[in-house]
Amino acid sequence: MRSRVSMSLGLLLCLIAFSSGLRAQTAPATSSAKAQTQSGSSKVPDLSGDWSADPKRGGIGQSLSLSDIGGKNRGKETDIPYQPWALAKTMSERTPTGPDARFDDTTDPSMKNCDPQGVPRIYMWPAKTKLVQTPEAVYILYQYGDNFRQVWLNRKHPDDPDPTWWGDSIGWYENGDTLVVDTVGFNDKTWLDQMGHPHTDKLHLTERYKRVDANTLELDMTIDDPGAYTKPWYAHRNFTISKSGQWYQWICTVEENQHFFDNQGAPAVSSPPNK
Amino acid sequence: MKGTTKLKLFVVMAMAASIFLVSGPVAAHHGTNLYDMTKTTTLKGAITKFEWGNPHNQIYFDVTDDKGTVSHWNAETEPPAVMSERGWTRKALNPGDQVTVYLNAAKNGATVGILQKVVLADGKELTARGPA
Repeated sequence: MRSRVSMSLGLLLCLIAFSSGLRAQTAPATSSAKAQTQSGSSKVPDLSGDWSADPKRGGIGQSLSLSDIGGKNRGKETDIPYQPWALAKTMSERTPTGPDARFDDTTDPSMKNCDPQGVPRIYMWPAKTKLVQTPEAVYILYQYGDNFRQVWLNRKHPDDPDPTWWGDSIGWYENGDTLVVDTVGFNDKTWLDQMGHPHTDKLHLTERYKRVDANTLELDMTIDDPGAYTKPWYAHRNFTISKSGQWYQWICTVEENQHFFDNQGAPAVSSPPNK
Repeated sequence: MKGTTKLKLFVVMAMAASIFLVSGPVAAHHGTNLYDMTKTTTLKGAITKFEWGNPHNQIYFDVTDDKGTVSHWNAETEPPAVMSERGWTRKALNPGDQVTVYLNAAKNGATVGILQKVVLADGKELTARGPA
């Protein structure tokens, strides 16, 4: 049943990607009239392509903090303005990565339950991202987890959006080279990164995608969550174009995680040595 | 002569360091603190099973020492989504293949590790990190 649903979803996305890709390519000048009005820009940048995570500008690091990309100084980052409870919550998490990584009893909801990564954590994986631009919306497709987001170009946020894993996203183009994505309406169940940084349902995330050259897409993010942090803070990611044409399915299942842990993780954790 | 030797040593060390610098995350799914990432363990053995899947590929192989004692090893790599970009396939390794395996082994002495590369009997190398 689940595979049938996945297949249907996949087909739907293929259709959306194909048909809207054509429209976006053939009629970019007419797209997103309202969004263009909002930004005052008349040019829609071409952000299409398969984008691979690139280690430059913070990605693919373990922490969203630009002062601690490797996640070695969790709780002591100079650029994360924690509220006290958020710092305590961060330090209480047993992460599967970093210097104190825990395989066996991690509190990571994505590892334990294969919960959705949410955003921005989805950008902490060495996986691909595809942007499909249409006049009405930009579809952001994620290789990791076979997830996708719809960024609406022609409407506002609902007044009181239901909290969801990926939030409610609207967007517009600026300066002829940047897609701005504005998201609210998140639930509070995801981590911001691999190091367990929390957020609340007050999170307001702004993403700015800019294609700086044919092969490079840069992403600047503002994390504004008055429920968890004392002021907005900033993060970056970087992507390079992938021309391999491959989009290998990368699905998280609890069963496969357990199998891996039993055969690789458990022996490494065990003490004394398990020979 | 000494200078040349030192230079060679430096080049080898620099190359070794560069593998870590350019490789990005070795394992996004979990940390590497349980493994000795400063030391390469080299093992000659025979593949018993190759699991091509998420969250990580697993290479099972047996190593027989001089006394005939067999150790069962398991080396992990990134998952198919990443390794397929490096030219790996689900048929890259098969039971019975004679291989030399380079890995970072578990610190606790368990016979598991994170793969650097596999060299097949015909000399073909399958790398897991660094430039593809």
